[in-house]
Amino acid sequence: MGSRRANITIVMLILALLAASVYVIATKPTKLGLDLSGGIQLIYEGEPSADNPTVDREDIDRTIELLRDRVDAFGVSEPEIAPLGETQIQVGLPDVQDTQRAIEQVGDTAKLYFYDLEPNVVPLDPKVEEVTPENLTQQATTSLYNAVELASKQNTKCNDVCTTTGPQLYLFEKGSREYVAGPESSERDLFSTDAAKAVPKEDRKVLTVPQGTIVVQDQQDDPEATPRYFVLRDRPALSGDDIENPEQSFDQNNAPNVTFDFTDEGRAAFERITRNIAQRGFESLGAPYSFAIVLDGDIVSRPVIDYQENPDGIDGRTGAQISGGFTVQQAQDLATFLKIGALPINLELVSQSTVSPTLGQQALDDGLKAGLIGLLIVSIFFLLYYRFLGAIAILGLAVYAAFFLAIMKLIPITLTLPGIAGLILTIGVAADSNVVVFERIKEEARKGHSMISSITTGYKRGIGTIIDANVITLLTAFILFGLATAGVKGFAFTLGIGTIVSLLTAVVFTRAVLGLLGRSRILRSPAFLGAGEQRVRWHFDFAGASRWFFSISGLILVVGALSFATNQLNFGIDFESGTKIETALAEPVSVDDVRNSLADAGVADVDAVKVQSVENPDFGANVFQIQGTIAPDEVGEVQRQLSSDFGFEGGGEGGFQSQSVGPTFGEQIARSAGYAIAFSLLLIAAYVAFRFEPKYAIPVMIAVIHDILITAGVYSLVGREVTSGTVAAFLTILGYSLYDTIIVFDRVRENVPRLPRATFSQIANRSLSEVLTRSLITGLSTVFLIGTILIFGGETLSDFAFAMMVGVLSGTYSSIFIASPVLIAWKEREPAYQARAARIREQMGRVPAFPEENEVALVGGEPAAAERDGGNGRPVAPESPPPAAASAPRDDGNGAEPAEEPEADAVSAEETDDAAVSERERRLAARRRRQAQRRKHGRNR
Amino acid sequence: MALVVWITLGVALWHFTVFVPDRFKGGIIGAFLAAVAGAVVSGAAWQIAQGDSLGQTDLATFVAAIPGCLVALAIAYAVGSRRSDALAGHYGDA
Repeated sequence: MGSRRANITIVMLILALLAASVYVIATKPTKLGLDLSGGIQLIYEGEPSADNPTVDREDIDRTIELLRDRVDAFGVSEPEIAPLGETQIQVGLPDVQDTQRAIEQVGDTAKLYFYDLEPNVVPLDPKVEEVTPENLTQQATTSLYNAVELASKQNTKCNDVCTTTGPQLYLFEKGSREYVAGPESSERDLFSTDAAKAVPKEDRKVLTVPQGTIVVQDQQDDPEATPRYFVLRDRPALSGDDIENPEQSFDQNNAPNVTFDFTDEGRAAFERITRNIAQRGFESLGAPYSFAIVLDGDIVSRPVIDYQENPDGIDGRTGAQISGGFTVQQAQDLATFLKIGALPINLELVSQSTVSPTLGQQALDDGLKAGLIGLLIVSIFFLLYYRFLGAIAILGLAVYAAFFLAIMKLIPITLTLPGIAGLILTIGVAADSNVVVFERIKEEARKGHSMISSITTGYKRGIGTIIDANVITLLTAFILFGLATAGVKGFAFTLGIGTIVSLLTAVVFTRAVLGLLGRSRILRSPAFLGAGEQRVRWHFDFAGASRWFFSISGLILVVGALSFATNQLNFGIDFESGTKIETALAEPVSVDDVRNSLADAGVADVDAVKVQSVENPDFGANVFQIQGTIAPDEVGEVQRQLSSDFGFEGGGEGGFQSQSVGPTFGEQIARSAGYAIAFSLLLIAAYVAFRFEPKYAIPVMIAVIHDILITAGVYSLVGREVTSGTVAAFLTILGYSLYDTIIVFDRVRENVPRLPRATFSQIANRSLSEVLTRSLITGLSTVFLIGTILIFGGETLSDFAFAMMVGVLSGTYSSIFIASPVLIAWKEREPAYQARAARIREQMGRVPAFPEENEVALVGGEPAAAERDGGNGRPVAPESPPPAAASAPRDDGNGAEPAEEPEADAVSAEETDDAAVSERERRLAARRRRQAQRRKHGRNR
Repeated sequence: MALVVWITLGVALWHFTVFVPDRFKGGIIGAFLAAVAGAVVSGAAWQIAQGDSLGQTDLATFVAAIPGCLVALAIAYAVGSRRSDALAGHYGDA
């Protein structure tokens, strides 16, 4: 054990950090994620625009700056706007509930262009030679199909001034000529929506509008009027970049409008275009010509130039105005957009979620309750099982919780639901570090060593195992953070930070505390430390019984495969795309009423949307769940329609919660999850191969595959929905399963040089018997924690907890009954172990399950220590003088086994020394017991 | 999804190889790889022959992978046994 001074320093340092942590916890606010505080999250895919034919990171960063300015201008507090991958942007708007307004405020590209209108209009009738103010309205059509068809027949080219990046595709239904999708720049994008996919191939009509021609919707003051469309030659005279100082104002009729000035370049261009228009009017002496202001593909205003009033055009110094039948709000928004500037790229909304503050608070309460109950149960269990050591572990966990909370507030880490799950799991990891060490301490104490010696040896031998296991967890967290999507990232970050902190508290802190207490009276009683007489000593032929466990796993997997084939997996909208809405309405209505409201909101194919009344008293009395293929940008309209038709519980917008995922985003989530799993497996296999030896890595991988397939099989069998939370759980299972297997293999690795005559199955049997208690306790602690999440964690966390529960049970089982037998079978093929087995079989006629049962090791009718298993009947250790290096710890961690010769006598000096040390320790322990007994009897006399 | 069915089936059937002597080429790991590869190849061949996509699964998807898996395991066993016999013969002659 380290010196007393070092222990005091560590404890003082930790206490100082604890005081600082308490101060931080008391003074700093906790940053809650949208899923806990309520709000709206929007995820956009950046797409090329005319100015940016390709989207790169610079465009995304510039767009984020502009979006931040927009959101700030709209007065949203603490928005979170961040890049997501290479081409996506995630926008979090806490406390905002109006989805439609959020979508309008954030995602409109606000591309503004000015067109000299009449010369650029393509006439509907080819016989019309020139479009004039008199025949202008006849060139607009109410059929989008007709407009697009006409546009598709134009043979135009772009001369560097176009507003599109290339040809634009539209999809219509062949028979009805109804619009389905577009304009999009590729077929992939065109068919990315569910509506487009739903059209049978034979009914699809794709029209391609060449670059240089566009279809725009005409300005109409009456929003209920049937839309009209113009086909325009795409030759804008001015763009939004040429204006400045846009302001919301009112025109002479007191209608809201937007006024603005021109830049120097814009002013010259504006004068030129209006002069041309005025001159054209003079030449015709008819109705005045006009120009069109087009915003994001729609004509928002088309003022005329009175050639008599302005024969030389309009002086741009007085600025101009856009009046397009705006509401005050719309005019203000447009002025803000124009002030901040157009986005350099187009944004497509691929995912949106709206979280009700009521349900967010409920989820937070459930998560915290689950965490506290879990912690309490684990604490009680530790106290009962480890007694005083358990109390030290609880102290360590309390310090861990304080450090973690302080770090979370300092960084600050946004606390999300998956984050809470990660936090609870790290409590399990922290607890397990103690279990590993305490089991070692108990082993040493039962050998008769003093408590100080037991604690020192326990920590020394346990630390390598703990570091290996925690590195595995850290690697999993690292990969998850790098590859997975937003929700899972929070989980990964929490898991990573928690694992590092737990190493500090569960190992460094508890060791220092025990070091200080090592000489106290309290630590002299093994029973008080839970290290009394061992009631259960595992003596089970794991290798021999493995075929039966393999059969059980095989049967479960056969059932799983059958279920995959017939039931498949019930993928949630995260993967399949679509929308899930939960709404608490103010008044009792029927399912049909809700369905009618959806139809009024413009939802296509309402009959395919699933609407059902559900019980959720915490949310409201009239709660409905709506699930179907509603596009992310339609959800806002649905919210407004439901609010207008029925109102929400509580009056505001709080009775509405939704999650909507576009098809491309769903694919991306699935892909990133696949990559995360594959990369985790590869990296961890490499780590295991490096730390142990390559042959240890393969069984680890097989055990992980076994666990993931079994968990997925159970999901398929029971039909539970697979969400992105489930993926996080799968990845955690991966980490847990590896963690557990590493701890088992670590003991095998440690025992290999100690048992130089034993077969590998005997070594494995011995090792598994030694670690089974630890595996059961850790498994049990984790099951307690996960069980509390499952029961108390609420609906969202229960998904995660279910997968974890199945995975942890499977992981604990597979590390003992799958990974180890595979390792045994593979290692037993090595010539050295084959020779050992052959030798034992030759002498005994069979290979016993445990090394101490080898006949060759029987000394005086009693099984000798395994270390004396000389293989040829001769005890090898006691006679060997212990060299100076004998006290060095065996678990040097390089994973290299000593080179072995199959010949019986060829025991390396190192192995012999180790055996000698163990024998000497045993003798010393026996001597101490005899001395203690003599002292006791002496006192009695 | 079909790929998941075949891999699961391959892994499932591999578990039962512990009931035969470990004479597979590459040992238990060789058997594992053979079982999974055989199941995937056999299942995929069936799926392609049927003209179904990888997303479509039914009972036939499951059944189609069984022969390939068993054949692959038999081949791995036969190759492994021949090598073991050859080695035994070699040492025996010596």
